[in-house]
Amino acid sequence: MKRNCMMLCCLAAMTLLVGKTLGQERPKSETFSKATPPAGAPLLTGNSKSTDESTSPQGADRTEQARRGTKSEPSERAEGEQRFRENCGRCHQPPHKFPPRVMAAAIRHMRVRALLTDEDMRLILNYMTR
Amino acid sequence: MVRFETLMGLAVVGAFFIVSAGFAQEANDQDAKPIPILQGSVALISDFTGGQPDIHPIATPVVLLPIGQRWLFETRATFENDFVEVPGRSGFHGGPVQKEVEYAQLDFVANKFMTISAGRFLTPFGIFNERLYPAWIRNLQSDPLILPIGIGPSNASTGAMVRGGFQARPQFDINYTVYFSTVVTTTPVDSDRFAGGRTGIFVPKARLEVGASFQHLLQQERSNLFGFHAIWQPTALPLDLRWEYARSKRGSGYWLEPAYKLSQLPFLQNEMRRTQLVARYQEFFTGPAVSDSLPPVHTKQFEFGANYYFMDGLKFATNYGRQFSSLGNVNVWTLGLTYRFVVPLGPDGSPK
Repeated sequence: MKRNCMMLCCLAAMTLLVGKTLGQERPKSETFSKATPPAGAPLLTGNSKSTDESTSPQGADRTEQARRGTKSEPSERAEGEQRFRENCGRCHQPPHKFPPRVMAAAIRHMRVRALLTDEDMRLILNYMTR
Repeated sequence: MVRFETLMGLAVVGAFFIVSAGFAQEANDQDAKPIPILQGSVALISDFTGGQPDIHPIATPVVLLPIGQRWLFETRATFENDFVEVPGRSGFHGGPVQKEVEYAQLDFVANKFMTISAGRFLTPFGIFNERLYPAWIRNLQSDPLILPIGIGPSNASTGAMVRGGFQARPQFDINYTVYFSTVVTTTPVDSDRFAGGRTGIFVPKARLEVGASFQHLLQQERSNLFGFHAIWQPTALPLDLRWEYARSKRGSGYWLEPAYKLSQLPFLQNEMRRTQLVARYQEFFTGPAVSDSLPPVHTKQFEFGANYYFMDGLKFATNYGRQFSSLGNVNVWTLGLTYRFVVPLGPDGSPK
């Protein structure tokens, strides 16, 4: 009897969570759809890996920026989004953004768990928090 | 045997050499200071394998405790119960809640090539146990038949591990893990004595990772185990393709799991991009030694299912399958709801 009550409580809690989430979905869905382009579509205008960096003037400029460590913010963000999809997307759905200090802890965890490289970690953290 | 231990000794010496070199490098400065967080998942999974209804409520909290610039303590526990129908009684009845510390490890980020972990950690053999096991991440709620191969009696090891990932060439990254586990006989945190490693190559442009695992059991039959894995996400399609193969003296097998998101369909786009169709085919072959956690006979299993993502952390999952073996064919049917949560245990740095 006691266990049945616990089961019912679990079910009720899950139902409440679903209801609450569905209630939050409407305002968030716009952000979600922006963050989920159709597969194959370019992510952002600064998708550096989809261009030939060595030949296009823009690509050469980006390579120079990367070499000097002075990448522009949109370019870094695009690169971070790309790295997120390549690395995190193997196991995770695209999430909503996390607060900076939460993401800093989560990315350290994922560095260990998912063997992210140093550069992946930096760019994904930048993308997920800004 | 002497040769293997010599190799292990050389690996440890090499690791310390790289660590000492790494101290010369500064830790990667991040703008935001990490705070402790509580994350994890709760799930309610209904399982109807062989026509026997079974309800599993599962809570899996994970605590992440960053310490300074380079350290992280992380632990995951599981609280689980099984509710089954008891003949002669109405409703579902469960036993005591099963509690287990799945891992509790201390990580030290030595440098950009290496992280050292010690404690109880998920055995990095193949990809499922370490990366895909949590209910909110996995595409199908049932475990692969070969999951028990190479991961120890409680899915975890007790010892130390060195691991890392780095860009070897602009075209690909390399990741590696080397570990040693000692014997622990205390249930439910028991582990075997073994040493092993896993390595993988990830090609970001192709979104393809291939890798291999190796393990040498240092007790019982002292056998070698090995496995291979691959994950491919073609850029042109919202498709995940995962494959794993494992071989040991106690059995071998493979699973192949494609998962396709319906985001390219031109109708009901809001719903379709949240819907994922999944299938898995797997086969297990028995080996010369026996194992309680593996099927006792040659077994094949096919499953297909659908997931609906209300959002990243909340998922409805269902799948149906059929298991074929000489012991009798059974249906495998699961239905579940999983929810992932993240709770900051301190000021999270959000703009006021």
